[in-house]
Amino acid sequence: MIHSSAQSKKIRRQLPATIAIGAGIASFLVVAAILAPFVAPYDALKMAAGPRLSAPSGNHLFGTDDFGRDLFSRVLIGARLSLGIGIVAVISGLVAGGLLGLFAAFGGRHVEAVLLRLIDVLYSFPDTLVALILVAFLGPGIENATVAITISLIPFYARVTYGLAVRERAKPYVEAARLAGIRSARLVRVHIMPNIGHSLISMATLGFSSAILSAAGLSFLGLGVQPPSPEWGAILASGRNYITKAPWILIFPGLAIFVTVLSFNLIGDGLRDLFDHRRKTP
Amino acid sequence: MLHLVFRKTVLALVTVFVVIVLSGTLIHLVPGDPITAMMAHSMTVPPEAMASMRSRLGLDLPVWQQVGLYAWRVLHGDLGTTIRGNEPVLNLLMQRLPNTLLLAVSGLAVALLIGIPSGFLAAVYRGRATDNVIAVVAVFGVSVPAFWTGLIMIQIFALKLGWLPVAGSGWRNLILPSLTLGLTYCALVARMTRSALLEVLGEDYIRTARARGLREHQILFVHALRPALISIVTVIGLLFAYLLGGQVIVESVFSWNGIGRLAVQAMLARDYPMIQGFIVVFATSVVVVSSSVDVLYSYLDPRIRTR
Repeated sequence: MIHSSAQSKKIRRQLPATIAIGAGIASFLVVAAILAPFVAPYDALKMAAGPRLSAPSGNHLFGTDDFGRDLFSRVLIGARLSLGIGIVAVISGLVAGGLLGLFAAFGGRHVEAVLLRLIDVLYSFPDTLVALILVAFLGPGIENATVAITISLIPFYARVTYGLAVRERAKPYVEAARLAGIRSARLVRVHIMPNIGHSLISMATLGFSSAILSAAGLSFLGLGVQPPSPEWGAILASGRNYITKAPWILIFPGLAIFVTVLSFNLIGDGLRDLFDHRRKTP
Repeated sequence: MLHLVFRKTVLALVTVFVVIVLSGTLIHLVPGDPITAMMAHSMTVPPEAMASMRSRLGLDLPVWQQVGLYAWRVLHGDLGTTIRGNEPVLNLLMQRLPNTLLLAVSGLAVALLIGIPSGFLAAVYRGRATDNVIAVVAVFGVSVPAFWTGLIMIQIFALKLGWLPVAGSGWRNLILPSLTLGLTYCALVARMTRSALLEVLGEDYIRTARARGLREHQILFVHALRPALISIVTVIGLLFAYLLGGQVIVESVFSWNGIGRLAVQAMLARDYPMIQGFIVVFATSVVVVSSSVDVLYSYLDPRIRTR
């Protein structure tokens, strides 16, 4: 088939471009986060590691903040927090949302109608806003922020899984399996999951980006991870008062958020193009 | 058409009702006693005051009655009063809603003005350098946190160059926050425009137009752009929700006096009735806009009407 071989050639040509760059940056970040305590030149919480608000230099690569803490060490340790929140939130959000989506697709007509309505209502709220609202009631802190971000991702994952499952449900092999007397639970486990799993992986990656953005936003507003923890959003918030005197406090944590989110967006977009021919990245 | 308007209205009312009920249950997420949590910031509060607050919020009733009471009050236009200051929540929100809508509309305008032409160019030059550059810029755009863009813009345009004010209200103050919002969401618009236009360009009647020897610009601007723009209208509802949501943070960065900033202040102060009121007003705005967009869309595109 000429068409499909042309398509696979195109995929092979595209693969290095987006996914490779994204995966390269992401693995660098993960390694940096793991090695952070050994690599960081100073203790991230140690005050007066250098002069207050000093500009980037050989001693302090990213400069220092208003307490004289080394910004490079803080941003590096901050990667552990951001990536940690992201990983926990995406895995638990994907499991919960995925189960909800599958239940909506295979739980019968009434379950489908009610669940879908509920999911759609929640989905009409932007995820960062859902996380903000939840954390306002749960209280600030890293655990509550993670719980809130997890819940904020559930509608997205539920909606996507439901969409994929319904598309799969309409295929002849599902009908054949049903006629053969296979029950819903087994059908989902053995037949549906392997067919939609790869699309879910690309969605998981994209959800990771929004989890990182939400975490930073929450901490920036003072509702997420609390100072003196070096979460990127929290560092940014602490730099707001020194916007002219010490712009580096704003620049470096912001760049860290940007590069992290960018790398996972590149992977997610790339994977979606690769797996989902019908819905190419617009 | 009338049938559709009716159906959309019923659906919108159901959605708002679900949000009201959810919003009413939220207070039970508070670990421990909500009254104690709310009072955590203030000095010692006499037990009588705590008890009266408890009964004012209906917290001494069984849960289902509380939620019912909350929904009943909201449906009668009573969103309660703030914990601090005891002011009516609805009034405070309504005072600030025009500011928020003004910023949302101008942010949307920026997003559309930048996004639609870029998406158009990307589709026309599909697979070529222009398309790739726009794709790269777009993925960069969706990866930048809005509050960071905002702070960087304050640093450059307000503090370094001194062209624009840092914060406040008025049209000159509108420029930086609308740019921040618009730049955050224009990448989304560009992607949608590109895919909508590519879909139209694949239609048979475009091939017919080409075969009949029409000029390329005539095909693009007359025959392809209009149907593509119509399908962009559908996503404006969703986009509006995201703009309003993103505004919560952007308003705080620029001290813009809208409901988003009010909500964040309430969240920091744990003023639960205020947050719940914000949720209801936010959801209502989103539902009103998105159902109007749906109806408008079916009016513009007769194929949907008959479905």
